[in-house]
Amino acid sequence: MDANPTPLKGEFVKKTILGAGNLLTYLIVLVVDIALGFFAFKLFSLGYTPLGICFVLIIIMISVAFLIPKAHMFKWMAIGLSAWLLFSIFPIVYTIYNAFTNYGDGHLISQTQAIGQIQAQTYLPETGKAYQWIAYRSPENEYLLWLKDADGNTTLVTQVDLEGDAEIPLVSGENGIGELDEEGAPVTIEGYTRLNRILAATDKNLTNIKFGDPENTIQVRSPSEAAELLPLYAYDPETNTFTHATTGTQYFDQEGTYTAKNGERLIPGYTALVGTKNFVQFVNSPGLRGPLVTIVIWNFLFATFSLLLTFSVGLLISIIYGDPKFKGKKILRSLLLIPYTIPSLITILIWRGMFNPDLGVINRILESVFNISPRWFTQPWLARIALLVVNTWLGYPYWMLVTSGALQSIPGDIYEAAEIDGASGWQRFRSITLPLLLVSVGPLMISSFIFNFNNFNLIYAFINGGPPIPTATTQAGYTDIIISYVYNLAFASGRGVQYGYASAISLILFLLIAVMSLLQFRFTNMWEEVGENV
Amino acid sequence: MKKSYILIAIALIATLLLGACGTSTEAPVEEPVATLRIWADEQRAPVLSELGAQFQAEYNVAVVVENISGIRDQFLVAAPAGEGPDIIVLAHDQLPALTESGLIAELDLGAKAAEFDPESLKAFSYEGKLFGMPYARENLGFFYNADLVEEVPTTWQGVYDLSKTLIEAGDIQYGIVLAGTSYDAYPWMTSQGGYIFGVDENGDYNPTDVGVGSEGMIAFGEMALKWKNDGILSDNLDNTTAKSMFLNGDVAFFMNGPWEINNLKASGLNFGIAKFPDGGYPFLGVQGFAVNSMSENVQLAQTFLTEFVATEEAMLALYEADPRGSAYLPAAAMIDDPYLKGIAEAGENAVPMPAIPAMGKVWGDWGNALTFIFDGSKTPAEAYTFAQEAIVAAIGLDTTGMINLPGSWQKAAGFDCEWNPACADTVMTLGDDGLYTATFTIPAGDYEVKVAHDGGWDTNYGVDGVAGGDNILFTVAADGEVTFVYDPETHILDIQLP
Repeated sequence: MDANPTPLKGEFVKKTILGAGNLLTYLIVLVVDIALGFFAFKLFSLGYTPLGICFVLIIIMISVAFLIPKAHMFKWMAIGLSAWLLFSIFPIVYTIYNAFTNYGDGHLISQTQAIGQIQAQTYLPETGKAYQWIAYRSPENEYLLWLKDADGNTTLVTQVDLEGDAEIPLVSGENGIGELDEEGAPVTIEGYTRLNRILAATDKNLTNIKFGDPENTIQVRSPSEAAELLPLYAYDPETNTFTHATTGTQYFDQEGTYTAKNGERLIPGYTALVGTKNFVQFVNSPGLRGPLVTIVIWNFLFATFSLLLTFSVGLLISIIYGDPKFKGKKILRSLLLIPYTIPSLITILIWRGMFNPDLGVINRILESVFNISPRWFTQPWLARIALLVVNTWLGYPYWMLVTSGALQSIPGDIYEAAEIDGASGWQRFRSITLPLLLVSVGPLMISSFIFNFNNFNLIYAFINGGPPIPTATTQAGYTDIIISYVYNLAFASGRGVQYGYASAISLILFLLIAVMSLLQFRFTNMWEEVGENV
Repeated sequence: MKKSYILIAIALIATLLLGACGTSTEAPVEEPVATLRIWADEQRAPVLSELGAQFQAEYNVAVVVENISGIRDQFLVAAPAGEGPDIIVLAHDQLPALTESGLIAELDLGAKAAEFDPESLKAFSYEGKLFGMPYARENLGFFYNADLVEEVPTTWQGVYDLSKTLIEAGDIQYGIVLAGTSYDAYPWMTSQGGYIFGVDENGDYNPTDVGVGSEGMIAFGEMALKWKNDGILSDNLDNTTAKSMFLNGDVAFFMNGPWEINNLKASGLNFGIAKFPDGGYPFLGVQGFAVNSMSENVQLAQTFLTEFVATEEAMLALYEADPRGSAYLPAAAMIDDPYLKGIAEAGENAVPMPAIPAMGKVWGDWGNALTFIFDGSKTPAEAYTFAQEAIVAAIGLDTTGMINLPGSWQKAAGFDCEWNPACADTVMTLGDDGLYTATFTIPAGDYEVKVAHDGGWDTNYGVDGVAGGDNILFTVAADGEVTFVYDPETHILDIQLP
């Protein structure tokens, strides 16, 4: 800050504020900044530093764009960029970061939390004793602890950190001690309240206080037990190691776990950077050497056939209903859109029921008419066909909508000219409709291809990748596509939670899809050129 | 015009500020001394809410019960951030992962421990310490159609014969149907001697002893295949279909759990539940409560559980909400439901479902084996042996902590690997002296070797213990036993030649 602002600077400030439009803008920006600042502060205090930085960047961006006249042109972009930063860039950066950590089962908490937990572990030395206990609390939050050991001996001990005797004789009538109950515990102690179980449990100080003889302190361990406890592991912040209290074994910080030389590990572990371990694990996993070729081939077949079938059925319907002579087409067209309006998951489950080999309606019909009962879920090719049927049902309304719009944009005079030239119906379709249609729907076809390439929902809900491939060394099915296979490999059937590993896999998948998107742009350009030539 | 804007803005800010002050000063007269938050599933939540209301009335501790689906997944994100509840409801097989992550506090039931079913307590223990309080146990039972079956056979041969008679009489389509290929068929597998994991001397599951390829399992496979070919066992392996077949009276027997009882009762079917034939036993699943170790109210949460939930009344209420066998003995003694008694009898010798991470690697291949047997792509022996190999390979994948001796000698010594840092046959073992040793018979010749950590090449040591250093050369003069000794501190490998 400049202590002596020059008049020129003052002018600038004045101009800035006035230039920011009216006072209202200023106020709104202020309120928004305060709100965002509050969030950022909260995030920093909770330890979510990266997200906090994100918010600070947003505050700066919004303030600059709205308050500095020269940056006004970026006003609306700033809002968009904020959302982009928060909802796209941050998750991506976070995923990349996670891919290099061991975040997952056994490594969920931070190192500070883990050190705290390991330090809090205690043990009862061989000479140590365990007691039943009752606590008494004074209004000044000073405590007395009544103890009864296994042999039935009772004592009343005081806090170590307070002056006075470590032990108070348990004699009724002395030192303010009232009558003793059948267990031998004072019913009342003057100046203190006897805490029942619940009161004692709600007292947050109690478990942290050391009682009795300073050489041999006693701590409350659980609602039913107090004992002469000692810390089990000693932490040395300088070397960042733990030492076992009795065996002297040292535990070193190793990739998220304190590990001894002999491989023994301390629980819990914590989240730590592990370098490229997750990627190495994925590349080395037997899954990649196993049935991946089968799966990749089927993945391409599935996406290609899904696209071809949905596109041709959709186009066929829209051509039929595009005929002006067709009666009642509005109602029929609306009815045909129904599959599109029902949530796909429900449709998938209904089809799953219909394809049920024993109870499904499809097999009942096939059985009564042709006396065959195909095993849709256990025969590889039947399962694949069933899957394509369902996907065609789910996908054709989309293409029906898209193509009926695109068909109307093809000028009618071209058809007239073709008719005069004597072109047949098929020739007209082949040389006019299809090329012109592909110009406008080409990019959509590629996005549809990519959607089906990753159509996890359908595969998972309809058949979960089955039937299994007998020769596969890892669990894989004939209808598995890459994404469902990887999902099974990494998470399914109780494999636990491995966020770090999953992040690494999603990064690899992201690269795969990025390459396909690049190809999409290439193809799109190509189609545009075709369009120019027509 | 401008003035009115300013007024509105001031008014807005004033309301905001006042609002903020208002909440901080206006405290209720009798504020609860503490608040317990519980995450429970749909069935447990109403019961716990009611208990919570009593608890609050009695001790002025507020109890907030939140109905959460997918408790575990949300808990392991919320708890480390300090946002987790104080108590969660969970199944015993979710416990080890959470405990290893440091999210669950040790629990001391005190004298009440004696009032719980010991098997259930064991299921909620981890390395000898108790980490949860069980409330319900469940296992599969042998369901039969009581209209068709008067006396339940105690042997599989009896089931076969009775089914055959009923099928011939046209009463049923099949004798029995399976609701699945792994868990749901397990009691049949165990009756033939099949198992998943062996147990070590402490009674804990041993992930290196996999029994999927055991003789008993193959015997089951052969039996199931024969029954299928004879038309006694349906070739359906789908849960929903199996249920409707049993409901429709198409089959006489099927194996399922207590969760189906209410559905079957509602359908009006006359059914019963019995023990499994030939001493087959199912997996035991245990449900319980656990306390969040990151909670500020660990003691209070424990007290709530031991004093308030571990009572006959509360345990019976939990039972009413969702009838499963109670893990609390006084409540279990009060339950007088013929179906649950059947389930309890069927589960007398039940073994807890393995809660070790290796179990996650078993399900898929284990279950697929029966599918392959049924579709004819593999014989029972092939199917279960193949599954066994795949599972062992998948479990062995976790090579953290492994010290191995990849080198040219591996192949020469007769192992199916060469320069393989994860070769299961050439792993070094740790001695009490902190040194790793391994002894192999190696034929005469010149060899190269390195020391690799964690089954990979990321960390490896060569000549003079140099990280990523040159290969260590050694010559075996005559065929004989070579002992390798590795010091993990100096990273030096000592090769003792014959």
